[in-house]
Formats: sequence, C-alpha cells, structure tokens
Amino acid sequence: MAVGARGRLAVRSKLPRGLCSKTPPGKDYKTPMGSQVAPTMNETYAPAEGVMIRTDNLWKTYEMGAIQVNALCGVSFQINRGEYVAIMGPSGSGKSTLMNLIGCLDTPTRGQYWLNGRLVSELSDDELAYIRNKEIGFVFQTFNLLARATALHNVELPLIYNGTPALDRKEKAEDALRKVDLADRMHHKPNELSGGQRQRVAVARALVNSPSIILADEPTGNLDTATGDEIMSLFDRLQQAGNTIVLVTHEHDIAARAHRIIHVRDGKVFQDERVK
Amino acid sequence: MAVFSQAQPLIQRRAARRREFVGVWVTVREAFWLAVDALSTHKLRSFLTLLGLVISTFTLILVMSVVNGMNLYIATHIANLGANVFIVHQFQWAQGDEEWLKARRRNQPIRMDDYEFLKENVHDYKMIGADSWMHNPPDIRYNGHNIQDTSMNGVTPSMINVGQAEVESGRFISESDYVHSSLVCFIGQDLVNEFFPTVDPIGKEITVGGQPFLVVGVAKKIGTTLGQSQDNFLQIPLTTFAKVFVARPQLAVSVQAWNGTQMPELEDEVRSLMRARRHTPYKESDTFGINAADTIMSAWNQLTGQIFFGTIAVVAIFMLVGGIVIMNIMLASVTERTHEIGIRKSLGARRRDILTQFVVESVVMAALGGLLGLILAASISKIVDTLWWPSTVPTSAVVVGLGLSSIVGLFFGIYPANKASRLDPIEALRTEN
Repeated sequence: MAVGARGRLAVRSKLPRGLCSKTPPGKDYKTPMGSQVAPTMNETYAPAEGVMIRTDNLWKTYEMGAIQVNALCGVSFQINRGEYVAIMGPSGSGKSTLMNLIGCLDTPTRGQYWLNGRLVSELSDDELAYIRNKEIGFVFQTFNLLARATALHNVELPLIYNGTPALDRKEKAEDALRKVDLADRMHHKPNELSGGQRQRVAVARALVNSPSIILADEPTGNLDTATGDEIMSLFDRLQQAGNTIVLVTHEHDIAARAHRIIHVRDGKVFQDERVK
Repeated sequence: MAVFSQAQPLIQRRAARRREFVGVWVTVREAFWLAVDALSTHKLRSFLTLLGLVISTFTLILVMSVVNGMNLYIATHIANLGANVFIVHQFQWAQGDEEWLKARRRNQPIRMDDYEFLKENVHDYKMIGADSWMHNPPDIRYNGHNIQDTSMNGVTPSMINVGQAEVESGRFISESDYVHSSLVCFIGQDLVNEFFPTVDPIGKEITVGGQPFLVVGVAKKIGTTLGQSQDNFLQIPLTTFAKVFVARPQLAVSVQAWNGTQMPELEDEVRSLMRARRHTPYKESDTFGINAADTIMSAWNQLTGQIFFGTIAVVAIFMLVGGIVIMNIMLASVTERTHEIGIRKSLGARRRDILTQFVVESVVMAALGGLLGLILAASISKIVDTLWWPSTVPTSAVVVGLGLSSIVGLFFGIYPANKASRLDPIEALRTEN
C-alpha cells in the first residue's frame, strides 16, 4: 500500500520532504499539573488580554502504519485581536494541519493552543464543536455550502447548532447576508449563485455568530482574479470593522493584502513578517 | 498575572442548560425538515425503502380492524341474547369440537317438560321462555310466491323480550295463541317484501308446510350481517310448532334475571335444579349447557387471540425486514452525505446533533411508512366493511401501527446515525460528494 511503501522508504533513507526529523517529547512525560501543561515548556501562563490566538510549541504527529510522521514540529506564535494575518507555505508545509488546529477541527499531539483566553488544545469533541460554533468562522476554498439549502438557510446553520430560536435566527442571518450585499439573493440555492456570490454566502455564514476569528482557507482559490479581489475587499472591510482574520494561502498577492505574514515550512514557523 | 492557570470553565452552567433545552428542540425541528427534504428528494427510493414497513403496518392494522369489526359484530349480534339473559341448552355453545361432539352424544336435549319444570320451580326470574327451530324449514308460500332459506322458530310468547326482533305492526304471539296452539305467525321484513310488497300483511294467510297461518304481526327491520339477511324469519307458537311440525322439539330455554348481580345466582339455581332433575351425580359434569353472552365472547376472543398470534408473527418478520432495509438505506445516506456531515461539524454540530439528525430522519421515514400502511389499511377496511365483513379501525391499531413502525425506525436508525456522528470532521470535509 502507498502509505506503507512510503513509510519503509522513509525508514531506509531520510524522511519525505516537508516533514521534520525531530521527534516530539516523550509520551510518558508527566507534570504535576497533569496533561494541561505542555511537557517541554515552562511558559504555561494564560495569554495577556488582547491576544486572540497563542500557540505554544504545537506538535502534530500522524501515525502512518508503523512509523510516525510529524506534520508540525513545535509551532509557536501569537495573534492579537483585530489582526489580519496570512499563513503562507508551500503544499506539504503543514499549513493545512495548522489551520485544522487553529480551527479546532483537530487537536494537537503536544503543546498548547489558547483561543480568546481559553485553552482549547485539550478539549473534548463536543467542547471543540462548541468552540467551532461560537469562536470560529470558517471560509473554505470550496465554499462548502449545503447544496440543497437556500443561502439564508446555509447562513442559519451555525445558529441552529447553538439553539437560537427560529425568529432570532432569521433576523441574524438576514443581517449577515446584508453585510455581504446578498440581501436580494437570500432564497437562492448555491447552484443558482455565481462563485463569488457563493463565497460571500460562506463569509456571511462565518460572520453570523460574531466569532472571535474568521479563518479562511484559500478563500480565492476557486475564483477568478476579479471575483477573488471582490472577496478580498470584503475581508479588508471586515478587518476594518474590527474582526480578527487568519488567512491560509499560497498566493503572494493574496497574502500581501494581510498585515502580517507567517511563513510555514517543514512544520515550523520559518518567518514571521509584518507587511503593513 | 495568573499562576498556573486552568482553562476557564468552558460553558457557563445556566447558559448551558438553556442551550440544551432550546437547542434540542431547534435541532430536532431542523432534523425533521431535513428528513422531509431528504425523503422528497428521493421519492422512489424512499418508497421502496418503506415498502416493508408499509406492508407490515397495513397487515397489522387491517387484521386488527377486521377482528375488531368481528368483535363488535359478535357482541351486538351473536352474543346479544338480551340484557341479563342466559340460555339453557343441550350443550355449551362455544367450545372445542371434540367436547361438543361428546356433549351432543351424552346429553339429553332440553324438552318441553324441562321448560315447564324450570318455569314452575325457579323461584325468582324476570322472564322465562323457550324456542325451537327446524333445520330444514318447510315450504312457505303465499299466493303462488315462495321464499327460500327462511328460519322458522317455535316460540313462547315471552320470547319477544329476547333477541333482536321488535314488533313493528300487529302483535307478537300471544299467551292465548300459545295455549290454543293457534295457526298464527309473526314474520320478518323479508317475508313482507316478498309476499306483501304493496298490501298490509296483517290478517293475511300464508301457507307453511301446507298449513295456513294467519299473519298477526310484523317485525322491525334488523338488517344484514356477514352478508346474511337477519329479516328472513317466521315465528309461530311453540305449541303449534310441536303439534304441526316436530313432535318432541328440542328447546333452548331463555331465562332473564332482574339484574346483573342476580344473574349468577339465577344461573346457579337453574343449574342445581337441572342437575337434581336429571339426577346428575355429585362429581359428574353438567348434562346440559348454560350459555351466557360472556361465555360466547370468551370463546370468540380465544379464537381471535390465535389469529392475532399468527398476525404478530408475520408482522414481526415484515417489520424486521423493513427495519433492516431502512438501516441499509440510512447507511448509504450517511456515506452519501459525509461531506455534508463535515460541513455541519465544522459549523459547530456536536456528535449528538448529527446523531439526532439521522435518527430523526430514520424515525420520520419509518413513521411515514406506518402512516402509509395505516391509510391503506383504513381504506381497505372501509371497502371490506361495505362489501363483506364488518370492519372498523380501532384507535389502538392506529397507535400500535404508528408506534411500532416509529420504534423500528428508531432502533434501526441508531447504528447508522451513530456512525455518522463519529465521523472525523476533517476526514468528512475532505470527502468529495
């Protein structure tokens, strides 16, 4: 099988490209505070006010058959409230894994992740679902809208999962759609909308719960340049309105619109530059 | 600055409780509309999926309806002996074939002198009467017309209080008719229609077995049951019956008690009198039968109980098959909608939200199957009722039918739903649909 072959190859020669050779700290390490404390760090304090995201030495290790592959090897950075950050890196650099961790779709093998003052790196599935619902607004490359639901219903979805009553929900969803200038297309289904409009529905959906961060994964990847620009201006506007935006991309001109670029390579932060 | 800080209590308790309360309702409602949507998108597939449940619910409800109709029929027509009436006869009516044959061989029939004896010796009753009937009734004619399949009874005058016949015009057999063995008769509506469609039958003479009988009264219309007219009868005085047709008629003696509490006492009294009269030894069983409505009903219920057992076995198998089909289709649905599950999870759906969604879908689907079965059974039952047998859908059948199919949906929906809820959000999102 492909994975096994890759694994054996990796054992014989060196690790495949994009994967660091360093191993994570020992598994049986125990601290007096239990598992909440990162084993290698003495920095285990809660982040200061105004810090939206802080990662401390994040490791993500995948088991591929018999061998372990490190997708992230101790990533640490900090993002403040209201920042506009792009995470860049070539494919295989670990930026998708990082995005999954930031988006609370996954939990790190080691290390700590603080989101809006909460330690979220060691939460249960349901607690992560709650964080995804309340704290994070996702915008995906492939939009990920429900094909059978109208734009309005798609935007209502996050509200459904925190039990917002129907009337409230409709009002909030309409508000969010108005913010992305789609008030007139509310009752259209995704296949009746253009790519740009679909992505705007997705942005409205990301906004509707007033999340702590908006997390966009290649938001312009499936759009032509003009429509991409349109979406990026929307992000600019949202940032000016005080939203924290984290953008994952491999395109330089998209990343250039952010205020800060974190370059990821081989599972590590390679460069952290402020561009504006 | 905080020392070693803990994660903050993630969800405030009160907010959490509110969220639970409203949230469950919101997600269930969402799941319900999702289910309706999913069903309407795949109409044919859903219908085929539901066929098993439709058939099983249909069978169950239809059988329950027919049995219920039969119960009502038996209660109102066959077991309707009159209020607080029991009948002394040669043998017990509702019992197994073997016992019945034995009783028929062993027991002496009830005769006129038995009736007279009871009439003289039972000390307190409201009414006592007797009737007898012929298995092959004689030819009944009027003015060149004749009528088939008429049941002819010889009755005592008191018998008007028992059974279903009521006087419409004229009178019933009188005491004087009885004493003098008069050639008079009391007829049902079918005879009126056949012989006297345009004229008043009272005072006319019809010929029964070559003897002229004066019509003295006409009964009210009773109607048809089980496709048989209940109005095709002719009643004559029991004494006349014995004199003209059957020399020593076998009787059924009807005894009416004053009220329900007196009835068992009266039954006991009649039983001991009959045993004494027939010198039945202490340990022997009765050589006659005392039949009351409840004994007939209990025998009938025994029979329908067997029908029920058969039905339940068949229905259970159908339900099982229907359930497995639902599980199969739900598994397919989960695979088909993996991407959707990923999206929902990324937007904050918890495991239980996804679980609810799929369980509700399968329950709604199954309940719909049950509903279709119910509608089908109700309409067939209606047709059966108007054409052949009495049949009414009892409320219990509706509850059992819908409830059972919902439970099947719940039971067989849990496994696929659980599978869906356990999907990893990243994996699910990555799946293309």
